[in-house]
Amino acid sequence: MSVASPPVVRLQRTGMTRLRREGAIAPICAFVVFLLVYIVINPELLTRFQLQTAANLVVPLALVALGQLLVVLVGGIDISIGAVMSLCNVVFATQLENVPPPVALLLAVGVGLACGLFNGFLVAYGGLPAIAVTLASAFIFGSLAREVLDRPGGGVTKEIYLATSGELVPFLPVSLVWLSVVAVLLWLLLQRTALGRHIYGVGSSMESVRAAGIDARLTKLLAFGLAGMVTSAGAVMLAASTVTGDPRSGDAYLLSSIAAVALAGAAFTGGRGSIIGTVLAACTLGLIGNLLFFAGVNSYWQYVISALIIFTVVGLPVVWARTTSALKGIRS
Amino acid sequence: MTDARIGAAAPAAPVPAAPPDGSPPAVDALLVATDLVKSYGPVHAVQGVSFRCNPGEVLALVGENGAGKSTVAKMLAGAVPPTSGSIVVGGRPLASGSVRQSRQSGVRCAFQELALVPDWTVAENLSLPDGAPYRGFSQRKSVVAAAELLGAFDLPHIDPQVTVGTLSLADRQLVEIARALAGRPSLLILDEASSALTPPGVAWLFQRIRDLTSDGGSVIYVSHRLGEIAEIADRGAVLRDGKVVGEFVRGGWTDDQLVSLMAGREAARFFPAPPARTTDAVALEVTNLRSDGVHGIDLVLGAGEILGIGGLQGHGQAELLRSLFGAAPATADSWSIAGRPVSGTTPVRSVRHGIGYVPEDRKREGLALEMSVGENLLVPWFRAYQLGGRPRITRERTWIDGVLGALSVRTRGPDERAGTLSGGNQQKLVFGRWMDRARTVILLHDPTRGIDVRAKQELYAAIVDLAEQGVGILWFSTEVEELVHVCHRVAVLYQGAVIDELVGERLTGDAVVGASMGLRAAA
Repeated sequence: MSVASPPVVRLQRTGMTRLRREGAIAPICAFVVFLLVYIVINPELLTRFQLQTAANLVVPLALVALGQLLVVLVGGIDISIGAVMSLCNVVFATQLENVPPPVALLLAVGVGLACGLFNGFLVAYGGLPAIAVTLASAFIFGSLAREVLDRPGGGVTKEIYLATSGELVPFLPVSLVWLSVVAVLLWLLLQRTALGRHIYGVGSSMESVRAAGIDARLTKLLAFGLAGMVTSAGAVMLAASTVTGDPRSGDAYLLSSIAAVALAGAAFTGGRGSIIGTVLAACTLGLIGNLLFFAGVNSYWQYVISALIIFTVVGLPVVWARTTSALKGIRS
Repeated sequence: MTDARIGAAAPAAPVPAAPPDGSPPAVDALLVATDLVKSYGPVHAVQGVSFRCNPGEVLALVGENGAGKSTVAKMLAGAVPPTSGSIVVGGRPLASGSVRQSRQSGVRCAFQELALVPDWTVAENLSLPDGAPYRGFSQRKSVVAAAELLGAFDLPHIDPQVTVGTLSLADRQLVEIARALAGRPSLLILDEASSALTPPGVAWLFQRIRDLTSDGGSVIYVSHRLGEIAEIADRGAVLRDGKVVGEFVRGGWTDDQLVSLMAGREAARFFPAPPARTTDAVALEVTNLRSDGVHGIDLVLGAGEILGIGGLQGHGQAELLRSLFGAAPATADSWSIAGRPVSGTTPVRSVRHGIGYVPEDRKREGLALEMSVGENLLVPWFRAYQLGGRPRITRERTWIDGVLGALSVRTRGPDERAGTLSGGNQQKLVFGRWMDRARTVILLHDPTRGIDVRAKQELYAAIVDLAEQGVGILWFSTEVEELVHVCHRVAVLYQGAVIDELVGERLTGDAVVGASMGLRAAA
């Protein structure tokens, strides 16, 4: 009523607005372009064997990146995510020798949850900075992992491999199915429950959420716990696809998961980031090494190419916004 | 409470100070607050405040910044647990320290510092705080519910699907009030809720308040705007230094009496006249300025002139000031600062050209809250290769003390953290950094928003003083009175362009309000 313009009735907008707001458009486009380039260079990707290996390569990274995304959404960052992954990985692999596989899976997820809650408690209720807490706890979890299993081994069997990393039907790797299940459940949680919206809200403005009568600290704690569980799923997928437990297996995933979240256009101050963007960003980053192998490029260049992709995808929206605003200025 | 009575017995007190907790109430009070105390370490923000609020009544809490009004409001809302004292709502003690429980017992608050999540949509902000966290959430349903709610509250121009961060400050405040109203609260606390509202927005708010009180709800109205209090408040309590120093009832007070009670000294509410101009020099001239939200504005600002910018918020005032300072990209046909032509500008170049800028949001754009008072004053004058920190502050001590003294900033000294100052004093810092620094133009974005009467008058005096020194002042204000009394000329913006320029005889409050609604008075 304070603006003289008449009320504007707009159509119900689709998820597109939300994707744009959450920064997912650029990573999605990047993935499509990347996939096309990949298929042009290496059409063999579309064979059963290569699809399966590619899927097994990217799924653990995608899951860990989702875990990282949850923490980033509440305005934190998880430096311990690689160590949590290693710990869950060895817990799963060693427990398979003692208990039936479902119990081993539950144990691994439970360990992930416990690690997440440990971090989350110190951050949310202790008021400590996430980067310090998770850096410190990374040392603890890493040592625990080596305590559980000090060299690659464990009891991962062929059946486990087939159940997680084989093919459901020809041309459909099982691992992609599991990733989809986790991603869809997580999407439902973030977009279709109040808790999920609270997670976004806490990252966006902790003070406002608190003033609105929402338990901001509990929300933060739950986000960390959830992140631990998703990370443990990635660890289980990694153990199963490599048919071994390895106390160092998670180390490489720390920076990759942060890179994937950055590539997904998420805000590291919290409150912005999308599931689909993160999954596709992880797929892009995970496949660069393969692509360069098939293109006959030295694999050391993989990191440079990853960096260039991140620069491009993160930079393009910024350049785009500047250009459009400059054009507007000229036109008006 | 004894202290409070002594305060109320001060010679200036015109108010029949009924003992707040003595005589039995005529009706069962909806809210009884007894001896509220809130201490932050050695600082006593509130020391023994008692008052009651009857059903269907609007109780005003007035006082200067730092008088403890906001702290009292926060304690009632459950955001801050009182150190001691009790709050009884509807006969039951209020569970303190939890906004959630306060909300559930029918107490809702629209906060001064907006409590909306910027990345949530309007619909999410309206619906998420209610209900359990572990339940489904449907965007569609929330949008429909929000549209219904906004429709019922007569706010159809707010789109429930946009994120709150993209709304104007006034619209955000409307959403915040709508959210507080949504639960049909029995007690509504409005903590400076009208500070960014335009006159029609305030009228809208008063209509909502009347609707609520006619249903038996009560409202606690915290404000600096005495005009609004005269219109809406049935009773009121004056706070000073964390104590109740007097009470008043509708019609039984005048502005001057209230102001002197708030200030604790005789202080008339007055606007200084703009100083006589001594030169025809031009400080800033721009023709056909275009930017996002600004559609071709011509401006000439003389040295020593106070040019007011009027109009409803969201009609290009913020964009105009930001463009002139270079904080937003803009182009113009011709553009000169102190006679020197420039082609566009950036904040760095603007400062070099002698422009100063007091932005809209002092917390977000104005101050580095973690840094000291002195450093905040010096911010525009730091060069990367110069001394910083304590040695620099010592060297600039005379200037800093001069500014702090001239504006009577209440601070423990240049080393105090800027974030610990009250709103009015923070605003003085943002303004003070441009004083005595050879400025040609100072751009002011509503510098008196949400600050108390005394701080306002100190700012007026400083503004007039700068104009006397030959600085051109471009001043956007949402308070029409300020524009009418303190400015030489007022340009009213409407939809990104100057709709009317008022000067001399035509410069009246009605003309400014009329022009801001898009009506151009016959010249």
